[in-house]
Amino acid sequence: MTPLLPSHDSRQAGSLDGLTVQVRLPLDRFELNIDVQTAKHVTGIFGVSGAGKTSLLETICGVRRQARGIIALGAETWLDSDRGVFVKPSQRHIGYVPQDGLLFPHKNVRHNLLAGKKRGLQRGHAVQQTFETVVHILELGRLLERTVHTLSGGERQRVALGRALCSGPRLLLLDEPFASLDVALRRKLLPFLRRVRAEFQTPMLFVSHDPLEVQALCDDLIVLGDGRIISHGDPRTVLTASHIFPLAEQYGFENILPCYSVAGSGSTGQVRLGEREGGERAPVELVTVRSEAQPGEALLAGIPAHDIMLATQRPEGLSARNVLPARITQLRSVGHVGLATAELSPDLPPLTVEVTEKSFVELGLRVGSKVFLVIKATSCRLYRTGESRRA
Amino acid sequence: MSPEVLSVILLTLQVATVSTLLVLLPATVLGYALARYEFYGKTVLSALVGLPLVLPPTAVGFLFLRLFAVDGPFGRETLGFDLHILLTWKGAVIATATMSLPLVARTARATFEGINPRLELMAHTLGHGRLATFFQYSLPMARRGLLGAVILGFTRAMGEFGATVTIAGNIPGRTQTIAAAIFSAQQVGAQARADFLMLVAIVLGFLAILSAELLGHSRSLPGLARP
Repeated sequence: MTPLLPSHDSRQAGSLDGLTVQVRLPLDRFELNIDVQTAKHVTGIFGVSGAGKTSLLETICGVRRQARGIIALGAETWLDSDRGVFVKPSQRHIGYVPQDGLLFPHKNVRHNLLAGKKRGLQRGHAVQQTFETVVHILELGRLLERTVHTLSGGERQRVALGRALCSGPRLLLLDEPFASLDVALRRKLLPFLRRVRAEFQTPMLFVSHDPLEVQALCDDLIVLGDGRIISHGDPRTVLTASHIFPLAEQYGFENILPCYSVAGSGSTGQVRLGEREGGERAPVELVTVRSEAQPGEALLAGIPAHDIMLATQRPEGLSARNVLPARITQLRSVGHVGLATAELSPDLPPLTVEVTEKSFVELGLRVGSKVFLVIKATSCRLYRTGESRRA
Repeated sequence: MSPEVLSVILLTLQVATVSTLLVLLPATVLGYALARYEFYGKTVLSALVGLPLVLPPTAVGFLFLRLFAVDGPFGRETLGFDLHILLTWKGAVIATATMSLPLVARTARATFEGINPRLELMAHTLGHGRLATFFQYSLPMARRGLLGAVILGFTRAMGEFGATVTIAGNIPGRTQTIAAAIFSAQQVGAQARADFLMLVAIVLGFLAILSAELLGHSRSLPGLARP
């Protein structure tokens, strides 16, 4: 059973081929200058538009010929400009999923999915088996004979993802695969990516500027700014770091907590926080808006940092449905706001809470303070993960 | 239909078909190169490819006349043998091919330019080399536009007059095509013959354009400029 939040996952990391990227590439406004190594399953690349994210992926693909430096995956070197090594894009065994799908208009869905079949077979990849898995987990069965211009935006992106997987790539590059879709649709596609993550051990680079996607999918996160890496590490830690948080907040940062549905009554739903049912010493429950989730279904709860209130005493007479005891583990100022890190339980990822600096002082907050987190049910968003009901 | 008229029609179709087949490959390659690559002399090449469109056809015909004349660079005295180009149907093919190449190449270029080059990069990342990408992706994606180009080239070859009569002459049964036969019939006042040939030209031209239109709307041929 896969854990709900990638950052809790360390078992798979050891068996993966490490990716080394040390490249320089002159771009219009700045030079892309990247020096990074990662051996995690899914590495996120976060940053504003124009920070060099797509250029980095294109360099790894081999379509940016001017790039100098080293690109290697495991024992395979794709670029070593000092030694004159340049492997052509067609020989790099990369699965690329662009923003705009780029499905082949002269092929139907089935033949798009199998466009990389030849290379897959040459490399001894079980293409047919992968094809069946892909059709199953991406729910493409009913689309196979359709021409691509009859597909919706979400269907196109699922086919593009499936096509990359069917070619048996050694590395998957996902360039904001859902950026062209509206938020509601993106949330519906998240479970598909999580299924791909659970089913395929292929290392992935996942470009996104959606803090939820990044936290729900990535084990490791790189933040790019003007062609350079400005932060690298565990996604939650990176997104809530002082110099990254304002950017993350701009793109709609939410605290993401693994949970599972326990019940729902009337207009509200209820979830129990944590990875496994019954695993918590003192289960923390959260009242949320009503969701379609089945009891026992694994979910992710998202709570924006600015939608959490801090209280030093248990407040009464409030409409907020959730008053949760917590302990402050960190206090920081970021620009004009204060960020408090609060721990609900040692088993759960800590929450980042945004308050004014004045509140820090007036409440007398310090590390170790016992507080109550006040959260409205309507501020708790639930995201389905695509994983089946937990036993 | 008299045997002479039939031979005029058959010769016209023969010349246009051979000319189109001859032009297809170089025009497609030229169109693709001009659409996809940047190279030294590209603008000059592009202008040269378009040149026959703007020249008087008789000037093009006369150029070939000089080239293939007995004492010309491709003539009997220079080569030591005769290519039998002048005043033969092969001469007519060279004339029509030269006149239709620019149309086919320019249409092919516009077709390839209408296809997102990133689709070709995508084919590369899926393991296809340059040649495989061209034949399995670029060509099939361009097929509708290329078929249009071929029809355009074929009709241009059928109607060519100036260059053809200059190099191949207007010899009934040997080098006389529909265009030249209408001219001759009109000159000698053979009204009925000219009328009939005019109708044949209209029908053939209409069928060609109609098939181009039908191909343009065919659902079984997706792939022109739909990135």
